[in-house]
Amino acid sequence: MSRCRLRALGMVNCLGATAGEVAPRLFAGDQSGLARRDDIVPDRVLHLGEVRSPLPPIDESLARFACRNNQLTLAALRSIEPSVRSVIEEVGPQRVGVVFGTSTSGVSDAEEALRHERATGTLKAGFAYEQLEFGGGAAFLASHLGVSGPCYTISTACSSGARALASARSMLDLGICDAVIAGATDTLCNLTIFGFSALQAISQEITNPCSANRDGLNLGEASALFLVTRESGGIQLLGVGESSEAHHMSAPDPTGGGAESAMREAIADADVRPSDIAYLNLHGTGTPLNDTMECDAVARVVGTDTPCSSSKPMVGHTLGAAGATEAGFCWLALDAATDGELPLIPHRWDGVRDPEMAAVNLVAEPATVTTSRPIVATNSFGFGGNNCVLVMGRES
Amino acid sequence: MSGAQPSTSAVVLRSAAWSPGIETTEELDAWTAAPHALQQEGHPDAKFLPAMLRRRCKPLTRIMLTAAYACCPQEELSQVRTVFTSRHGSINESIGLLHAIADSQRVSAATFSHTVHNAQAGLFSIAASNRQASSSIAASEDSFPAGFLEALTHLHRAPDDKVLLVTGDVPLAPTFASLIAEPQASYAVALLLGTTGHGPRVSLDIEPPAPAAEQPQWPAAFDFLRWLETDQPDLRIPTPARIWRLRRLATLTATGEA
Repeated sequence: MSRCRLRALGMVNCLGATAGEVAPRLFAGDQSGLARRDDIVPDRVLHLGEVRSPLPPIDESLARFACRNNQLTLAALRSIEPSVRSVIEEVGPQRVGVVFGTSTSGVSDAEEALRHERATGTLKAGFAYEQLEFGGGAAFLASHLGVSGPCYTISTACSSGARALASARSMLDLGICDAVIAGATDTLCNLTIFGFSALQAISQEITNPCSANRDGLNLGEASALFLVTRESGGIQLLGVGESSEAHHMSAPDPTGGGAESAMREAIADADVRPSDIAYLNLHGTGTPLNDTMECDAVARVVGTDTPCSSSKPMVGHTLGAAGATEAGFCWLALDAATDGELPLIPHRWDGVRDPEMAAVNLVAEPATVTTSRPIVATNSFGFGGNNCVLVMGRES
Repeated sequence: MSGAQPSTSAVVLRSAAWSPGIETTEELDAWTAAPHALQQEGHPDAKFLPAMLRRRCKPLTRIMLTAAYACCPQEELSQVRTVFTSRHGSINESIGLLHAIADSQRVSAATFSHTVHNAQAGLFSIAASNRQASSSIAASEDSFPAGFLEALTHLHRAPDDKVLLVTGDVPLAPTFASLIAEPQASYAVALLLGTTGHGPRVSLDIEPPAPAAEQPQWPAAFDFLRWLETDQPDLRIPTPARIWRLRRLATLTATGEA
């Protein structure tokens, strides 16, 4: 049986600048990170999960990578950098890989470079293609850490971050490296704000997943990075399930067939039973189509008793970073489990059930569940019909 | 330490390529015998795609799907896992939207949903009714060998499956083209990879970078196709940060013994 230890977690999102800052607000169901903005899209109110804590500067020698997306990555890395550096020293920089997920890369900086071009005729000085191209985020992390193992970016829209962890586990199994920095970052930008507005997918209020009154998602930005090693113990990535939908570029298969097969595969890959899943972190975007197909699929796989919640009403939909961020939230729950009590992430909504969808067990209040073996799952479903489900567990 | 273990290798079962003027097996053979820089402009009709879908397919999608369909037997199109790897992907479409936003023009929902880096993978899934696992990756100059590694991770997760690896690019939009040194081309290469079967078994590992690697004249994936036709044991793909070494391993016999 393969070993894949998620040894350390660094994260930044609108709830905080470190995992330690995020955890208490997450388990309390704190929605104050989502800020109301009416100054971006004409005639539209947005609630955005913007990171407002100051971000660290990119080193002068890596100026070609100096964009907000990489600053968010650096902010997430900061708290785990000492452990990361000590593992690099232990196994050697050639044996450390990077798998990075993003759907925006540094597009917000490209927008600024283009505005400068409109005004002056030339791109903003200092703008480099490495900031915009998808591969740049992985290359930045590897360059910053001075590691030269395998390194690439996965960009499958909203499943990117979950996929990064799946590939990290396989890389360790293959033996091509001995440690992987895996995770994902996405930045708020006009491209996604105007794009999701055009799709009529943005809620005017704070998102209200699984409610009969839900009307869309909120966008957010985040970074979550894991130090992943081939060790037993601690918090393990136990299973991965993947599927494509062959259905539509921006709408899920309404039957939930793709979501269901990915969940079943992840649970089988983890070598556990559906009833062993003590908590399931929903993709839960708050869009009419996603929540119906997802809750129906969840009910078919783990039934309607398993505690479930969407964490997006607290941080928004962080798109390419969502899979890693929500795996990070699961990691925080597993890390906080004591004496068989697993803390649960509350599902913040108006409590109005949608009679058209399966009545899954939504965690309404800050709560815990008793379990002899803490095992959790997290769903990520992306544009292009790209699904990835992770099962994680804590070993004693 | 980095010696090829059986699991870091795959059998190359089939291959195909497309670039303007390199559109048939004969034209690919001619290029292999006398290689030259690839052309920048041009794309295939991709008539095998349903008309409704083809209308949505930009040049890169038509090129990558043409190579994919040429490589993969018809009856396996819905069964293979896929890895799409591209440095630029649909970034030109994103750049077009950025200009539209800067001009306060309306953003088209359909255009936006096709700017994702996995647009080609998503359209392939729809066209081929493929519900298998799929990754889309990017790694600057390392995009092709990194895609080969991502394909190996899929074969590791599902050793009974085959993986269709498709790499390709089109020239970057003029707004940003002057910012990169890599030669621009319109092309795709597709490889059908498996853990067993008939074909050369190729392993992958990584070596430290060599000082000042020369700028390649054509995409690394085309070098790979040339190398498959030779009896050279190794192909080294140098990039600024590392050297990817592809190595031909002894072919397994029917009993699985080397």
